[in-house]
Amino acid sequence: MTAAMVKRGFLHLVLLLGLAISIFPFYWLFVMASNTTGDIFKYPPKLTIGSQLLVNMRNMLDAIDFWGSFLNSLFVAVVTAVLVVFFDSLAAFVFAKFEFPGKKPLFVILLATFMVPAQLSVVPQFVVMAHLGWVGSFKALIIPAMVNAYGIFLARQYAEGAISADLLEAARIDGAGFFRLYWNVAVPVLRPIMSFLGIFTFITMWNDYLWPLIVMTNPQKLTLQVALAQLNSLNATDYSMVMAGTLLAAVPLIIVFLFGARQFIADLAAGAVKG
Amino acid sequence: MATTQVPLTTGEPVLVQPGQTTRPKRFREYLPLYVAISPFYIVFAIFGIFPIAFSLYLAFHAWDGIGPMKYVGLGQFRYLLSDGDFWHSILVTLEIWVISTIPMLFFAMIIAVLLNSNVRGRTFYRIAYFIPNITSLVAIAIIFGSVFANSFGLSNAFLQAIGVGQISWLSDPWGIKVAIATMVVWRWTGYNAIIYLAGLQAIPGDVYEAARIDGASAIQTFFRVTVPMMRPIILFTVITSTIGGMQIFAEAQVLVGDTGGPGKAGLTMVLYLYQQAFTNSDFGYGSAIGWGLFVILILFSAINWRLVQGRSGR
Amino acid sequence: MSRETTRRSFLTALAGGTAGLMLAGCGGGKNSASKTTLWYWNRSLDDGFLAQANKHFADLHLEPNKIAVDYKPKLLTTLAGKSFVPDVTNINSDIATYFPDQDQFVDLYDLGADKVKDLYLPWKWELGVTAGGKMVGFPIDTGPCAFMYRQDLFKKAGLPTDPKDVEKKVATWDGYFEVAEQFQAKNPKVKFVANISNIYSLALAQSPKQYFDKQGKFIGDQSHIKNAWDRAVEAKKRNLSARIVQDYSSDWSGGYSGGGIGTLNDAVWAAFILEEAAPSTAGKWRVCLGPGGTGNKGGSFMAITKYCKRPELAFEFIKWLQQPTLQTKTYTEIQLFPSANSSLADKAIIAPDKYFGGQSSGQVFAASAKALEPAYYSPYEAIVSTAYTNELLNVENLGKNPDKAWEDALSQARRQIKHKGLSV
Repeated sequence: MTAAMVKRGFLHLVLLLGLAISIFPFYWLFVMASNTTGDIFKYPPKLTIGSQLLVNMRNMLDAIDFWGSFLNSLFVAVVTAVLVVFFDSLAAFVFAKFEFPGKKPLFVILLATFMVPAQLSVVPQFVVMAHLGWVGSFKALIIPAMVNAYGIFLARQYAEGAISADLLEAARIDGAGFFRLYWNVAVPVLRPIMSFLGIFTFITMWNDYLWPLIVMTNPQKLTLQVALAQLNSLNATDYSMVMAGTLLAAVPLIIVFLFGARQFIADLAAGAVKG
Repeated sequence: MATTQVPLTTGEPVLVQPGQTTRPKRFREYLPLYVAISPFYIVFAIFGIFPIAFSLYLAFHAWDGIGPMKYVGLGQFRYLLSDGDFWHSILVTLEIWVISTIPMLFFAMIIAVLLNSNVRGRTFYRIAYFIPNITSLVAIAIIFGSVFANSFGLSNAFLQAIGVGQISWLSDPWGIKVAIATMVVWRWTGYNAIIYLAGLQAIPGDVYEAARIDGASAIQTFFRVTVPMMRPIILFTVITSTIGGMQIFAEAQVLVGDTGGPGKAGLTMVLYLYQQAFTNSDFGYGSAIGWGLFVILILFSAINWRLVQGRSGR
Repeated sequence: MSRETTRRSFLTALAGGTAGLMLAGCGGGKNSASKTTLWYWNRSLDDGFLAQANKHFADLHLEPNKIAVDYKPKLLTTLAGKSFVPDVTNINSDIATYFPDQDQFVDLYDLGADKVKDLYLPWKWELGVTAGGKMVGFPIDTGPCAFMYRQDLFKKAGLPTDPKDVEKKVATWDGYFEVAEQFQAKNPKVKFVANISNIYSLALAQSPKQYFDKQGKFIGDQSHIKNAWDRAVEAKKRNLSARIVQDYSSDWSGGYSGGGIGTLNDAVWAAFILEEAAPSTAGKWRVCLGPGGTGNKGGSFMAITKYCKRPELAFEFIKWLQQPTLQTKTYTEIQLFPSANSSLADKAIIAPDKYFGGQSSGQVFAASAKALEPAYYSPYEAIVSTAYTNELLNVENLGKNPDKAWEDALSQARRQIKHKGLSV
């Protein structure tokens, strides 16, 4: 019996170690954000939480338009998530439950788009935006991302199994048109996958750095990640202030995420295994 | 009337039961369907296909984005092949990939195996391990930048405490690569562990039962039974981490800046592309680099695919 | 709730939302006639005066934007994006690199700039004018160079300490190296210079010829460059360098504040960075004209982009902000060294400087500024200069053979030029 207990203890030890590594950077961030710059530069470094958190936050809010960029990121992430959920689920519904001419080749094209890496198109994408007059505006961030193959593919797999043909048939007999079929039959059933896509899109858009860095040239419309990077490069001297900004930028997303984490992770794993 | 025979006259879309053949219908009935899937194709045509085609066009020109475009034939590609910095960036990216992906997948597998044996609080662990994956890349780079700093970082304090002595992480080429690799490992281990866990849980119990009856030890079971069954999943994680590893940008740029730092040790391929296209205002060359990057990505993914699939003849 | 109503209401909502989305980003991107957007970087303009600008110009409605991180790429990318382009923008000393795109900017001569031309240093003024005579940039500040040295360490080495005497000794490069040897002999723990690139860039900073001639021909293999190179290599040979990799970095600050580096041959704004980085050495420094007696590094300009709807008003603003009296005041506020002639003679400039032990450092820098001959900077300088500085780093830190390094620098520079499609 004791061998098993030792084994179990060892198990937990390793897992807890991994846990500590995963979480420690956040603790460290909090330590740095709540101390003075001098404390951070001290060697050996101070390991405990300080009392300067509010001071550093106030300085940071003076240095950059934090709330402005926060709201910008929020706007972009929410709008994109809503659009993605709508367009992806709609397309997935069609591919899952309907037949129509050209369906197969169209679907193959959909799969093929997975092959295209984003970095290849960064430069010409910028030029396209320039011609459309969208450089520096939120449209440049939202429109290219508002419908994607990954989401359609995932939702289609889900829809195939989840939406019952009988239900569709019954609704159609009642006189439902296409859109009503989607709205009243498909959507309630697709809700779990839609919420997964929504959260996933939100996180992706929130954390996006390269593209907003390139295309949001308007200083009034920076997203949070770009503003944070600016804060970091501008203010190497007031380091604790940079840390306060980093804290405010990273933590809210995590806290919000925790509410839906369990289901999200389950869906993510399931999707990967099927794929 | 249980199977659907949709009257042609209602103008409503066609539902089909499995096994039934479609009958040619009027186009109008299909209209809502095409409209519903059109957004993807429209968006992809404008922001997916067209930019790629345009990128190829741009790669044959020299252009700073503002003035006129100048046709230069294969000039950009010839320069690319002889460009030391381009090849250097490929090397840097590959080096970082090796020192990050191999430990990361290794740790992920260990964690997944541990979680698979009925430990308590599995959900809690899964969530906690996943948190790094949703953290802002910029934030991570800033935090780790201070951990690996030359004169005041936490890592040096630790090294000093165990008697190894200080390392000037951010002035040393390998120090920089290790710092970037650490960020990648920290960020993706949990994600891959969760995927491996799902894969492990999909393996039916009787397979293990059979192995036990045959007298296999735990280690033998792992390598002869578990791993082969996990091969598709392992392949999946290798491919996704290959694609991800080739695209490292934010961690490097925030840590060492646009130049790639001392010895250009942090100059990943995408950072080099960004530097040439947007910092040096050379859109033509940036496009050529993009294509070079694409070729390398395909090559490397193919190699990895081959390695993981092995000669199993699948 | 019939299906018609649900569908209609949803579609209406979607249409409205999409329209809203389309509009939310419209209106922006175009420059307006009711405000003036300005781009600048931190401490390139005085924030206080910017605030006052609106009081002076009732219609200006200035909207200043501080841009951090890669100013030039940001500006060029914005010009390529043709959207949200600022009306007025600061441009750094690399202004020549914008000349190929000069059609993006308004010719300030068209707005009457030549009326105030005499107020400013001629060589600074000319730097803002293209080869074709179009005035792109209006002068803000300059970066005259001088030789700063630790007086106490000079004393220890038996060298003269009074700036006038030191100036005589270091007037030539030979004299400079003699002084350096004597300094090192008696101050073994202190290095004479932070790095050898500093010597290279200073020698270049006072040369009227740079890497290209006015016809666009590459002259980076000629004697003026080679001499500068040789002098830097000389410093390495005589072991004078502290081998600091990056100027003004934390390592650099540490070197000066810890007393490990004895001189700084650099621009006036570097003196202020020194002051901030090494307060513990205050009062121990003196300054005089260095070898060559002059040199300029840095200094920015103001420009008006073609997207500006009210260029005349914008120019009035620029003229007002850069008038001699305000330039003098800006020197006191944020230490931007003026380019206006009368400012250079102003009391504020020649006031005693505590950091330099009461010496009037401003006077020395002003003399350096006045002595400068105009240099020709090609738009393509940046393409080749890194080749040379990289190789010098290799010579200094990796012990590379200087002759091989010179050959490599040349071939790398020529490669870059060919890539850009220019004649070599």
